[in-house]
Formats: sequence, C-alpha cells, structure tokens
Amino acid sequence: MTSSQHSTAAASGALSLRTEFGEFEVPSRDIIAFPNGLPGFERSRRFVLLSAGLQAPFQCLQSVEGPGASFVVVDPRWVLDSYRAVLSDMDRFRLGATPDTPLLWLAIVILASDGEAYANLRAPVVVNPETMIGFQIMPPDSLYPLRHPLPRE
Amino acid sequence: MLVFTRKLNEAIVIGDGVEVRVLRIGRDNIRLGVTAPASVPVHRLEVYEQIRRENQMAAEALRSQTGLDRLRGSKPEQS
Repeated sequence: MTSSQHSTAAASGALSLRTEFGEFEVPSRDIIAFPNGLPGFERSRRFVLLSAGLQAPFQCLQSVEGPGASFVVVDPRWVLDSYRAVLSDMDRFRLGATPDTPLLWLAIVILASDGEAYANLRAPVVVNPETMIGFQIMPPDSLYPLRHPLPRE
Repeated sequence: MLVFTRKLNEAIVIGDGVEVRVLRIGRDNIRLGVTAPASVPVHRLEVYEQIRRENQMAAEALRSQTGLDRLRGSKPEQS
C-alpha cells in the first residue's frame, strides 16, 4: 500500500480523511453506510463519494475506515446510454427505498493490467441518498458484463 | 463440513431463519429454495467470488496508481 488511508473523527461531526487524491474534511452526513461492505471488503462499512482529484464524470468511492478500500466509480449510464438495471424488491427494501425513490447508481471502474479501463456493469453499487445506505447489487440474470470498456474521448 | 442427506422437499435450517429446501432433483443438478431474512444476502458462490476478485483488482489498481492518469483531474483540490 502506498499512502495509508486514515481518518479521524473531529468534534465538529466531520471526518478528516487522507486519500490518494489529497486530504479532505468530510461532514458526517456525507457518509454512506454499506451494511454488508462490498465483496472482498466485507469489513468496510462506511464510505464517502469524492469528486476532487478525478476528472468528471469519475468519482472516488472511498472507505473512511480502510484498509485500502477505495474505488473509482462512474455513472453506468455514462458508460452505456441504454443501461437499465433492475432492482429486486428485496434490494429496494434493504435500501429503505420505494419504487419512486431516486437512487444513485455507480459502476466500479477497473484499471486492468493491459492498460484498458473497464466498468463493472454486472454488479453496480446503488445508494439511496435519502437513507444514505448503499449496496453492491448482484442481479442473478443481469445481461451486462463484469468488464465493459469505458468510452474513449 | 457438515453433511446432510435430504430427500425432495426436505430442508435444513441455518442459524436464525435461513432455510434451504430441495425443490427438484434432476439428473445433473438440483433446485434449491432459500428463505432468508432481508438482512442476509444470498448469492451463487461463483458470482460472488468473481465480483470479489474484480473489486480487489479495482482497489489494487487505485492503490498502485496504475493507469490512473487518464482519469485524473488536472489538480487535486480541497472540497
């Protein structure tokens, strides 16, 4: 690991967070709870979404408790116009959402050793901004690939 | 590993409220029905493992800064 991810709680209800992209003050209300963590990072339960340091539309989904759980993410609809993921009733219930709740969809970006960048459209991260709860969902019958090439500008 | 012999429509219970029932027995496969509380995610193992590997690779690439240049903004700024 290069720099250590590090966070300290401040009295103001803000976290000071050291990341690959610099240091940030993150208000507690910006913390997204992932009750199951993410596959491979089951113990990382609290994340923030950072925009600084990356070119739009890319953002960083960063664990505030480490170790090393941070991901470049992007709107899957930016990757693929026609992207339509289906959320199961169970996943919607876990998110504390109704069918009308606007949800935030994020695809994890994979920077592969071949130099190509891909987005994981098979298992997107979904966040309910009203409850600040998130999950990486794994729809059993998804038609989308684990690695969809990112559009080249 | 615990090993059970179950017949069609028989089940086992795991922990608090997870039930796994044999719904159909085919020649090469069996069909299982899983009943679990909403807080317990259930996935096919190979799908979960695949996604776990992709996540680990995604995080590792970010840690080692591999190929990050094309995604990086001009200058990190304080938010």
